[in-house]
Amino acid sequence: MGVVLQQNPIPFLKPVLGNGLLLYLFGSLVAMVMLIAILQTVPKQFRRRIILLTTFIGGLFYALEFFLPVSSMPTPANANNKGNFLTPYVVPFGVITQIVVGWTIGLGIINLTMVHGKRLLKPKQQEAFWNSAAFFICMFLMTWFGIAYELQKNAFNDSIYKILFVGALQSLDATMFSIIAFYIVSAAYRAFRVRTLEASLLLATAFIVMLGQIALGQWLTQTFPSALRVETIRGWILDVANAAATRAIAFGLGIGSLAVALRIWLGLERGSYFDKES
Amino acid sequence: MEHATPAAQVLLPLFSIIIVAMILTARRRNLYIRRIHGLNAIDEAVGRATEMGRPMLCTTGASVNTQGGIEIVPLQALSIVSYILRASAPFSNRAIIPVYDPQMLAVTQEAVQNAYLAAGKPELYNPDDVRFLTNRQFAYAAAVSGIMHREKVAASFLFGYFYAEAMIFAETGQQVGAIQIAGTTATTQIPFFIAACDYVIIGDEFYAASAYLSREPTQLGSIVGQDICKAILLGIAVIGTLLVSIGNLGGYTWVDTFVKLFK
Repeated sequence: MGVVLQQNPIPFLKPVLGNGLLLYLFGSLVAMVMLIAILQTVPKQFRRRIILLTTFIGGLFYALEFFLPVSSMPTPANANNKGNFLTPYVVPFGVITQIVVGWTIGLGIINLTMVHGKRLLKPKQQEAFWNSAAFFICMFLMTWFGIAYELQKNAFNDSIYKILFVGALQSLDATMFSIIAFYIVSAAYRAFRVRTLEASLLLATAFIVMLGQIALGQWLTQTFPSALRVETIRGWILDVANAAATRAIAFGLGIGSLAVALRIWLGLERGSYFDKES
Repeated sequence: MEHATPAAQVLLPLFSIIIVAMILTARRRNLYIRRIHGLNAIDEAVGRATEMGRPMLCTTGASVNTQGGIEIVPLQALSIVSYILRASAPFSNRAIIPVYDPQMLAVTQEAVQNAYLAAGKPELYNPDDVRFLTNRQFAYAAAVSGIMHREKVAASFLFGYFYAEAMIFAETGQQVGAIQIAGTTATTQIPFFIAACDYVIIGDEFYAASAYLSREPTQLGSIVGQDICKAILLGIAVIGTLLVSIGNLGGYTWVDTFVKLFK
């Protein structure tokens, strides 16, 4: 990443350190607050045009960069790199979108604080109060020790951070993930009950695929001709029947994505955010 | 950086022109698209929630673009959710919309407000019901499951891109007795939804959904344009299969040259 940033052709977006970094942070904060304040004062119809224009310029940049002819453009990281005159600006554009993402995370935290703050101040249910209290305690601890861990790496900060992140958060993630195993069994039981022709086909196919995955299945059909062995049939189901269906779906999805992207890029959706057309 | 191959340089502009042309055509005359049963069930699910007097849960998926910027899939999911809200507004149903991607929060809030406004019920918009939860996969799964249990949702609409959490949502909905309608572009998760949900829309039906539901000319034209593009792709696939088969016989170098154009 460091190598890529050094190639940044826009001097304004080159990384700075020390007091310059603080100045940049403060300046960008003020600039963004002012920008948001100005956008808030603009009439809604005009604001929509600004959004459409910004979307169009962003989309046009990436479309041109993708379609224009390319020539050799070696970089320190990749000697075989190819590009056109817009390629060096892809990284700065990406940095802009990352900044927007940073701001939206701030918006998300404000939203969470408002929802849970109301529950703390005016609890309608005892359970909701404690859930919201747990949220604030966890958010505060994670933020505090996350920053402390980054700023001052010592044994105390390191161990607290590991307890919170590895000990608590990752373990909770793993717990949720492990639940899926039981849910799959429960869903499969309902889906595979032989009530209709489709369910019967599903059951038979699943049985063959599962049998083909395990050594027992392969052992059971080891005396059969190669084409009739369960692992061969399993392979055919997965690599031919399943792959063909998945690719057909993928074609449709690709074209669908292109259509939605075009509608948004060209501002063809007449309403704002999927309004009814007037 | 990836750049357009010769085939992409021809096909993508061609498809774009077809789709835009059909959108413009649809604004002048009515176009037909076939019935999608899973989408007809949305009204049934809304009715069920009304009868039971319990809220609905609508998600726009659990995908986030790590490079920055909003992906197309949650936006399409949001357009379906907008229809659901417009359909449920006359009955004053409450809808809870948990948000995964913080970039989607402001867009979702505005779309929900617009949907209620379009239905003539702006007072139904409750900012607390459009909640950003987290952008950690299993934390989101836990939070949505918790909401489903606590609020005892009557209908669950799972649209968007999902990963392993799809099964958690679908089974939790089953446990609380919610009618469930799912639609995803994640081909790996479609089987799980089919096993656990009441209705599933698959593949590009997901993109056809908002057109089918809203009957807006722009979206109808877009769907017809997509179908024409798919027919062209199908034709290329058939011709390609034949050519590769001929090429395998040997001695036909022009076939190899032609096929390479599409690689």
